[in-house]
Amino acid sequence: MASLDDLKKTFFDECDEAMQQIEIGLTDIRSGEGNDETINAVFRGVHSVKGGAGIFGFEQLVGFAHVFETVLDGLRNGSLTATPDNLDVLLSASDVLSDLVQMSRGGETIAEGFGAEVRSGLEQIIEQGGGGGDDGDIAPAEFDGLDFMPVAVNLDDLGAEDAPVGGDGRGVYKIVFRPKPEMLKKANEPLYVLRELRKLGEAEIEANSDDLPALTDIEVDVPYLWWTITLRTEEPRAKVEEVFEFVMGDCDLSIENDTPPAAVAAPQVVIADTAMPEAVAALPVIEAPSVAPAMPAPRAEIKPAMAKPEGEQGGGGGRGKPAATTTRIELDRIDRVVNMVGELVISQAMLGQIVQDLPESTSMRLIQILDEVAHHTRELKDSVMSMRAQPVGSVFQRMPRLVREVAAKTHKKVRLETHGETTEVDRSIIERLGDPLTHIIRNSVDHGVESPSARIAAGKPEEGVIRLSAEHRGGRIVIEIKDDGAGVNSERVLKIAREKGLVGPDAQLTEDEINNLIMMPGFSTAEVISDISGRGVGMDVVRSNIQDLGGRITLKSVRGQGMTIQLALPLTLAVMDGMVIKVGTQTYVMPLSAIVECLRPSRGEISALIGTHGMLQLRGEFVPIILLSDLLGVDSASGSNSERVVIVTDNGDGSRIGLVVDELLGHQQVVIKSIEESYGAVPGIAAATILGNGRVAFILDVEKLAELAAQTPITNHATSRAAQPALN
Amino acid sequence: MPVPGAIKVLVVDDQNSVRQMTRMALEEIGFRHIHEAENGVQAMETAAVQPLDLIISDYNMPEMDGLGLLRAVRGHPVARKVPFIMLTGRGDRELVVKAAQAGVNNYLVKPFTSAILRDKIEAVIGKLS
Repeated sequence: MASLDDLKKTFFDECDEAMQQIEIGLTDIRSGEGNDETINAVFRGVHSVKGGAGIFGFEQLVGFAHVFETVLDGLRNGSLTATPDNLDVLLSASDVLSDLVQMSRGGETIAEGFGAEVRSGLEQIIEQGGGGGDDGDIAPAEFDGLDFMPVAVNLDDLGAEDAPVGGDGRGVYKIVFRPKPEMLKKANEPLYVLRELRKLGEAEIEANSDDLPALTDIEVDVPYLWWTITLRTEEPRAKVEEVFEFVMGDCDLSIENDTPPAAVAAPQVVIADTAMPEAVAALPVIEAPSVAPAMPAPRAEIKPAMAKPEGEQGGGGGRGKPAATTTRIELDRIDRVVNMVGELVISQAMLGQIVQDLPESTSMRLIQILDEVAHHTRELKDSVMSMRAQPVGSVFQRMPRLVREVAAKTHKKVRLETHGETTEVDRSIIERLGDPLTHIIRNSVDHGVESPSARIAAGKPEEGVIRLSAEHRGGRIVIEIKDDGAGVNSERVLKIAREKGLVGPDAQLTEDEINNLIMMPGFSTAEVISDISGRGVGMDVVRSNIQDLGGRITLKSVRGQGMTIQLALPLTLAVMDGMVIKVGTQTYVMPLSAIVECLRPSRGEISALIGTHGMLQLRGEFVPIILLSDLLGVDSASGSNSERVVIVTDNGDGSRIGLVVDELLGHQQVVIKSIEESYGAVPGIAAATILGNGRVAFILDVEKLAELAAQTPITNHATSRAAQPALN
Repeated sequence: MPVPGAIKVLVVDDQNSVRQMTRMALEEIGFRHIHEAENGVQAMETAAVQPLDLIISDYNMPEMDGLGLLRAVRGHPVARKVPFIMLTGRGDRELVVKAAQAGVNNYLVKPFTSAILRDKIEAVIGKLS
């Protein structure tokens, strides 16, 4: 049995879902996309939080949720209207509720007046609507003035209780019984069946002889007659069906319950005049202290009720149509499977290695099977990863609040649009995405979007728009944050960069390169250090956060039109596609995502340039070349330079370098094993992995390598060669 | 005198935590046959294949709410007499009236203790042994 703590955890998980539902719903309503079901879904969300909070004794949460819920109920039933002002209060209320949930989860003591301002805002809305039928205080467990009489039932009656009982206490069945030839061939006699039926009660039997041919055409083993029987009985349906037990498959049979509508015993509701609130008093039913109206015919009721219960609650709110069956699994368990899959990938690679060394006669078949194993392993990996995957919506949902808060502090008008919230990515990425995203969006509101007056002066709508979107693209998840603000002021950025010595005074930079300077360490452009941005943590931290995740961040800005920041992240941190390369005797793995292309350039394509290993001329573009052997301090084994390979990589900021390696060993899925715990961060090395031959190989951090290359002066050894292109 | 261990009860709530708490309370009373459903539609599916002696359902659920479920149960040829206890929020008196009309046997206000739950059940099916 689950412990109370487990249940609390479940409750808070549910709260997260509910909060998401509330936030999305309210945002939709405010942007005019909401409908009746949206407000219902929001109501249900708050109601769920309140219900659970009550059970677990989070009284302040219950109290606040109750007032919140009352307003939503008013909106639902039309006694209150969703004016923009009211919606703002509701959005703040959802923020407070979210805070209260978080504080309750953390076991914090909640200050007495917490959220009091918003609460009084909610109460004001209730008052505007004429009291809302509730004084905001929570009613006691029993309702005053509502004299409810529980309806007792004798359980013993239930068992034999499946006969539909008509007004006279008897069930009526309409039975159509049509024997098939098989029935006669098995020597079953319809007459006996009809006689048995008669024993159950009063049966009106009508034979249908329409199919009966002329006497000369009659065949003895073909049944031509069929019967319609109206049976009145006190026996349950099961008894009726039992009669047909032996002929079940050999006849067409329909047994319909034709019982006339019966009045279901209704409990008595008496409401004392004294404490009768108006809302309840207005109900026409209250005047019936004796017997409530008879139920409609039972059969007619079921289907429509299943489809839509009295038009009250339609689909499942934000959850789409029929909810997929789900089960909650501890993350640890999934992680264990992920680890096992990782080991499996390694074992499989090892097996592949051994098979390759076998004589071809034996290896042929093995290779075939191994291919299948590889295929299944990949699928297994994908399935397990999809279990860990979560929609990015869980991070996105925090952003509307952030935008509201920052916009309010900076006196700007900003609307956040989100797209692709359902895009899924590994949980570990989700967990580490929140901070960078928060920072970027905070920046966009604080520095990107202009003040309303500046916007109007620039001929833009007063309200700025930040568009946050996510999509899967090429095996990665791409998250884009786009604002329609002023864009990066490149002159100012360049000026500051020069002042801070980040750029040489004579350096010629393209617009894009200048814009990317804001992600350099130590760069902060905010002229006024506000309490929102500019806490000494800049875009450089964002960039390194994203890089730590194996992702890339790119920034595009158009002056006066806005800025777009794009984050391209791997879908998982556990396994990745890598290119296995060789430098000297060492084997390394390079993330496939960083590789633009691999080529073996001819001599003419390399131009010498003093102070470099050479420049590779690639379709009219010059790419600096770096000898990986120099950078990593290993001897290159390749005697003949012409056999070396250049891997052109993308450094994430749009710049490219060509890394010279000795050999490409092939593309392989590798399991990422962190070395940071044991060795700390090693510049240029992202992690390690175990290769098929059981040896450990380092996974290179391409962007760091490029940085290292820029910082490391070319050694004497290299300089002597630098006079000539590296690859001659 | 009904024996709790022999009674088949269905707990309907869209919140797993509430379902589990209700289950814990029921187990404390001595119930052993406890089925669960997340909403009215699932509950009706269960009721169609599983003879039930008692339904305890939340009111506020997506897909089909408690009132919808109650009406569906009362209109169902097999399940229509199954005792039905509705869980309500505090202050939800209007709902109690509606539920009473639709043939609810008793109501139970959240949050509740197992003692209150027991009282409410006993008021419907008699003193438990």
